[in-house]
Amino acid sequence: MAVLVLGPLGGAAGAFAFPKGGRRLAGVAAVTAVLALLVLAREVVTNGVQLHRVGGWSAPLGIDLRGDGLAVLMLAITALIAGAVTLYAPPYFLPQAGAESRDRERWFWPLFLFLWSALNALFLSRDIFNLYVTLELLGFAAVTLVALAGKREALTATMRYLLVSLPASLFYLMGVALVYGQCATVDLSLLAAKAERGPVLWVALALMTGGLVAKAALFPLHFWLPPAHASAPAPVSALLSALVVKGPYYILLRLWFEAFPALMTPAVAQGLGALGAVAIVWGSIHALMQARLKLLVAYSTVAQLGYLFLLFPLAAVREGGWLAWNGGLLFLAAHACAKTALFLTAGNILQAAGHDRIKGLDGMTQVLPVSAFAFGLAGLSLAGLPPSSGFAGKWLLLSASLAQGQWWWAAVILGGSLLAAAYVMRVLSHAFTQVALATKPRPLPAVQEWTALVLAALAVGLGLAAQGPLALLRLGAPVVLGGAGP
Amino acid sequence: MIPRLVLGTLSLAVLAALSWAVLSLPAQPPGLTAEALGKLPESGVTNPVTAVLLNYRGHDTLLEVAVLLLAITGVWSLRQGEFPAADLRERPLLMSLLRVLLPVLVLTAGYLLWIGAFAPGGAFQGGAVAGGALVLGILGGLAGRWMRRESLLRLGLALGVLVFASVCAVTKALTGGLLQYPPGQGGVWILLIEAAALASIGLTLGLLYVGGRPPAGPAEPGEKEPDGHG
Repeated sequence: MAVLVLGPLGGAAGAFAFPKGGRRLAGVAAVTAVLALLVLAREVVTNGVQLHRVGGWSAPLGIDLRGDGLAVLMLAITALIAGAVTLYAPPYFLPQAGAESRDRERWFWPLFLFLWSALNALFLSRDIFNLYVTLELLGFAAVTLVALAGKREALTATMRYLLVSLPASLFYLMGVALVYGQCATVDLSLLAAKAERGPVLWVALALMTGGLVAKAALFPLHFWLPPAHASAPAPVSALLSALVVKGPYYILLRLWFEAFPALMTPAVAQGLGALGAVAIVWGSIHALMQARLKLLVAYSTVAQLGYLFLLFPLAAVREGGWLAWNGGLLFLAAHACAKTALFLTAGNILQAAGHDRIKGLDGMTQVLPVSAFAFGLAGLSLAGLPPSSGFAGKWLLLSASLAQGQWWWAAVILGGSLLAAAYVMRVLSHAFTQVALATKPRPLPAVQEWTALVLAALAVGLGLAAQGPLALLRLGAPVVLGGAGP
Repeated sequence: MIPRLVLGTLSLAVLAALSWAVLSLPAQPPGLTAEALGKLPESGVTNPVTAVLLNYRGHDTLLEVAVLLLAITGVWSLRQGEFPAADLRERPLLMSLLRVLLPVLVLTAGYLLWIGAFAPGGAFQGGAVAGGALVLGILGGLAGRWMRRESLLRLGLALGVLVFASVCAVTKALTGGLLQYPPGQGGVWILLIEAAALASIGLTLGLLYVGGRPPAGPAEPGEKEPDGHG
């Protein structure tokens, strides 16, 4: 478990100290992290939830790390996306030849490894103060990676991202301080026993939720996301959209379903769901209106994050709650794979064609057939067409909403899918036209196209093989959802 | 005007909510002080703050040291800085001040590191003093001489995380637990981590002052040497 954090962290420090070896160190760190994940996953599957008491102390004095089903799922998604980025990044930075691009690659590796270790530490931690530290590491790494693009628009987006991220962290930290003042512990499992409704915890949770929602870019605090995700280098955009915004979302799940289910009133659940619903509509409509591909994909993230928040009203109800929990998390995995594929494809198009105007994508299938296919497959999952995992996730959410009689969420899910199909088709209708090409575009290294395709294929294939990952979620599931708890 | 009104209302609402929460906190804060003091003999140090930072909650500190390295990585990736050019020969008063002050500051940093095991002090405090000394040195124009080798600077900046992570790996191999020191050896490992962290914290704070990575290229030989032995 510790290696999952120490591997990438050591790699990051090494890549900073020895910039010439950054790529190799990243490779070593990636292999180490994946192996450590496999060991942990095996332990969890055979022996159940793994608890590691850091320093040999135990909560409340020390910090506990926990590998349960949800944590392993998130770590696996992280390893998959980060692994793909490790393969994609070297050729991506290469062709923009010159010292400047090489320089950017050298900065990319330590920042990327910091990001990876922060995510791993976040998914394992059971301690809400320790989670704050991981959020800081995650936030700073993400913000700096956006700036790597170096262009003016990227720097503006970076600044805006930083100015949202910092106060959001502070709000979260104020909440943690209040929780400690009231409950004398910051451990998620111990808090569950001490949580009582009262002014201190209401305010604390409001502050923490506000901060985390801003970091997870839920409407109306999403405004920083499209410029930041669209102007970053392609591998960075993929990391941000697929993983970084999921970190704070994951903390929200742990807080509301494990530590403070006692405070989860219908108003809270419906409120978070309502913001999610607005995000779906708002994000999709804006995605439809974009002229540039990367901005379209970024607005699509705003919309897709909305679905994740439908999990709150649907999973908070006893009957059918488990379905919704599964659906939401399957949707998260689907979105991570599909969005990575889309951003990597957009990066390919940008490099091959020199632009990413949607109207100028005619004949893309002739130039980049593999990338075009990847875009199509990922779009399939995004629009929620069967048999993709996007479909399976939405299906579970839909079933839960109908079983509970909360039909309004079903309407949002269906409407959002139609809008998603529309913006995906807008791109594909250009990409799949045959035209006589005026200029010969630059050929791309095969790795860049195939990593995108493999992830897109996974986004579809996961829908057919969802049983395994979902069975994993049972291990250490929250008590309110019928799990055994810690 | 309207955005300001909205922002003002929001801020007042947060203020009101915070006041309400703080006033509702238990009069006798429960806290973990008693437990932290109770386990002190097992921690390897007698200063409770150091025990919390490097033993009970060492995992936090590992990530905090990483945040510092990340901060300088971020700043260096953005731009190149400049060392202020100053000729100390023209400012004899400053030079004689630095000649006294710098060694004393370095000594103080080392003292704070050592005393951290028993009394208030430690790597962060020592690092802050060392960082201050570095800023003084940079302002005095000494940086160009100290900092010709960027590779050494990078190593020094990363040292804290590298040593901390290595100690984690070694003690895990010895005891099987992350940051679980072999019984009775807590103090020694903590001192090792803190020494490396102090060096990196001091360098980080001092170099953040420059606001970018050090100027490229080695300084010209024979460039403004303040004196023969400074």
